Amino acid sequence: MNFEAGQRTPLVQLTPTSCLIRGECYPENISEWSEPVLTALEECLGNDESEFKVDIELYYFNSSSAKFLFDFFEFLEESAEGGKTITVNWRYRAEDDTMQEAGEDFEEDMSACTYNMVVAEEAE
Amino acid sequence: MGKTLKSTDTVELHTFMQDRKTLFCYSGPLTEDLLTTISNPVRHQLSDKETEEIVATRVFGVFIEQAQNIIRYSHHKTKATGDSIGTIAISLADDGFLIEAVNVVDPSKKDVLEATLVDLSLKDQKELRGLYKQRLRDGPPEDSRGAGLGFIEMARRVKKFEFDFVESEEGALFVYRGWVQ
Repeated sequence: MNFEAGQRTPLVQLTPTSCLIRGECYPENISEWSEPVLTALEECLGNDESEFKVDIELYYFNSSSAKFLFDFFEFLEESAEGGKTITVNWRYRAEDDTMQEAGEDFEEDMSACTYNMVVAEEAE
Repeated sequence: MGKTLKSTDTVELHTFMQDRKTLFCYSGPLTEDLLTTISNPVRHQLSDKETEEIVATRVFGVFIEQAQNIIRYSHHKTKATGDSIGTIAISLADDGFLIEAVNVVDPSKKDVLEATLVDLSLKDQKELRGLYKQRLRDGPPEDSRGAGLGFIEMARRVKKFEFDFVESEEGALFVYRGWVQ
């Protein structure tokens, strides 16, 4: 399932075994945008596949979207505690301290998921 | 208004904006729709100035939080649609950018707002980072319409910020200024 990127929302691509989020996130109404995304994620995690891979590459998100990311990670963590093998790659550009710190802060609460901080290649 | 504006007044406006190196200024009713519309030109303005992308994103981030503060908390609304009225501007400042916002504050919220900002101004970056995480875990305070994170987010992105309350005919104006480098 795909959620196309909007001017204020990132691309979200969901498959039974993976999730990709890329872009900027500062929607007009965070719950309106995030509810269908979280519902779709719940469906993806509810299948019998044993592994799930998450790639997140954000360049900017506003403070209202931080709560969505927090809920998103909590969701993954619960699913991993339930037995699924989940790998999260938080991708950030080497010079982007803001996104690096954000990734590190989310990492602190993750223990059941494998969580990697990954320096992303410079986007053209 | 009352008085007729002369062409020299218009020139004065032009000169004033040029002299203070204001790249973007909006004053009036602000909505999320309008914010979507002005986001792109604001971004272009910032990237035109040979600014590092990371700095431009930081300026943009403070701009978005300030704009959303006006939308959520301005006490001055349009009569017809109830849209929030305020002023927001981005200017060049010494070695960086100045982001300014003004809106009428709800008199019953003024003291809490003041205490919150005084508290934030005393914290270093490490403490702000911790507080941001804490607030994220705990959820928003009762009377917050956002996640209660906006002012912490701004304090983390700016080199320094100042705020003030100035009396006006419309009521007490909340003035927030953040400098980004």
